[in-house]
Amino acid sequence: MNPGRVVAIAMKTLRSLRHDRRTAGFLVLMPLFMIAIFGYTFGGAIKDVDVVVVNLDEGGATGSVADRIVADLETREVLRIEYLDQPEAGEDAVREGRAWALIFFTPDFTSRVEAAIDASRASSFADIGLLDLYLDATNPNIAQAVITEVQTAIQSVLIDHYHVNPVIVMNEHMVYGADAEFIDFFAPGVMGLAAMMITFMLSIISFVRERSTGTLDRLLTTPVTEGEIVGGYALAFGVVALIQSTVILVAAMLLFQVAIEGSALMVLLTIFLLGVGSQGLGFLLSSIAKNEFQAVQFTPLILFPSILLAGVFWPLEAVPDILRPVSDFIPLTYAVDACRSIMIRGWGIAEVWPQLVVLAGFAAATLLLSAYSLKKRG
Amino acid sequence: MNDSISEMETRSARHLEDANMHVVRTRGLSKAFGTITALEGLDLDIPKGCVYGMIGPNGSGKTTTIRILNGLLRASSGKAWLMDEAVPVTSNIHRIGYMPQEMAIYMDLTVLENLELFAGMYSMRGERFKERAGHLLDMIDLKDRGCSLVSELSGGMKHRVSLACALIHDPELVFLDEPTVGVDPELRAGFWDYFSELKRAGKTVVLTTHYMDEAVRCDRVGMMRLGRMIAEDTPEGLTESTGTDNLEDAFLRKAREGGG
Repeated sequence: MNPGRVVAIAMKTLRSLRHDRRTAGFLVLMPLFMIAIFGYTFGGAIKDVDVVVVNLDEGGATGSVADRIVADLETREVLRIEYLDQPEAGEDAVREGRAWALIFFTPDFTSRVEAAIDASRASSFADIGLLDLYLDATNPNIAQAVITEVQTAIQSVLIDHYHVNPVIVMNEHMVYGADAEFIDFFAPGVMGLAAMMITFMLSIISFVRERSTGTLDRLLTTPVTEGEIVGGYALAFGVVALIQSTVILVAAMLLFQVAIEGSALMVLLTIFLLGVGSQGLGFLLSSIAKNEFQAVQFTPLILFPSILLAGVFWPLEAVPDILRPVSDFIPLTYAVDACRSIMIRGWGIAEVWPQLVVLAGFAAATLLLSAYSLKKRG
Repeated sequence: MNDSISEMETRSARHLEDANMHVVRTRGLSKAFGTITALEGLDLDIPKGCVYGMIGPNGSGKTTTIRILNGLLRASSGKAWLMDEAVPVTSNIHRIGYMPQEMAIYMDLTVLENLELFAGMYSMRGERFKERAGHLLDMIDLKDRGCSLVSELSGGMKHRVSLACALIHDPELVFLDEPTVGVDPELRAGFWDYFSELKRAGKTVVLTTHYMDEAVRCDRVGMMRLGRMIAEDTPEGLTESTGTDNLEDAFLRKAREGGG
């Protein structure tokens, strides 16, 4: 390995990116765009869910339980409540998509609830309070939010006004991520995804071009070795991945107040290894693609499994058992896991070294195979 | 048959004596791609300091020969030596230049950046590079276009840049595959002047062309057809032996004699 030649190849690669202003801009703006889009859409908690309340509760001696529950709901912003008089009208609103849910209190709601409370105090059994919830569960996240919200309101009304204390109270201790929001969870994922996608695409297209224009052959007639060519490209695209992840980190910190509990350098090291490995993968697949058009078609093939199975947006625990081994084979899985642990848990090399070893192995394997594939010629 | 073998033996014996006189030697060099024979039994002896032209139609084996000599293809059988080192060469690799038939330069780099990249492959940097690059840009008449992106140049200019990249490290032996294709006549004349200049400096130029008219400027010409060398001599020798007055007719005459 002659370092001068490795650097010369790397410089050449970076220079051609610099001359191509649109691509260069894309390299910086694309991850920015991704983090902004994902951040603003998924980042915030769910709020202003349109629901209809039909409250026919006639109340009791101490007022209406239904009124108290609704009042409690109004103190938060999750639900945006419209009041109607007829349960049928409320149901129509749900059916026609104007509201996600109808919360319906029957006229005897308070009396039934109070009877149930008295009965339980007397250790006997009586009627129970029934609250009807008509839900449009098209979006499971929203449906879940509505259910949770109503349950919360019921609990607090029971405790505050009827002193019905729950028997078991969960004492939550956040070991990690006490202040973590959804954005903190997926910012590391987006970073890994962007680095992988870009280095893979750039690499496969560059090498298809190197092969089809004859420049690769020409390089191979000079003293440069296969390993030096591959090393030079790895260095260049590793740098590209570093620049990108820095952009994402800074954007996530400034736009979404994402905190980095651990070392930012460790995050960048992880992304660098992932970038180098992805470029090696692109290099390997470039020998199968005959032209740039075919090369582009490889991108979704690599990208989709990574997006879906590497735990970028959905936790690995949500991946079906059959596909779990696939997740274990996707390098992005390890990068995202490591970045998350560093950024949210504040872990260091002592804890994330297994992931880094996997990524380094991935990079080493793809680079060695790439160099070998160059050597093997007719 | 026996004759030709003994003839070959005496020839190779002779060449052993003055091996260093011949910078390119091949013996029985053959290449088959599947069932297609691209090159068959090529024996070449190219002396140092000569402009050697391989002529012949497309598919005659010229490019295959050059690619084998440059280590981009492995011969199916036979042997080849460059400066007495068997191909693919390693210790002599920095003494050899190659300009492929395709443009094979980086369109998204400037002219100077292309030169700098290839110079870097030969560990040539700094003042030495600047001096050499200046000289070559002068030669290819692109002195003011050093900082232009190659993609913005005309076809002929790109071709000249490609030639300069092959010569950046001042090689002693240079292979030029169709160096004058798509180059306008004036510039083509300039190229040939430069080849003569290289020759005067003791360098060896091996080129391919299918322009028979310009092959007369070579010191020696090898006529290739269907993967075989059908004749090899000085341009004058070829026209005289066939009783023709130009290489094109000489080629056609030889092709007929060869049983084609």
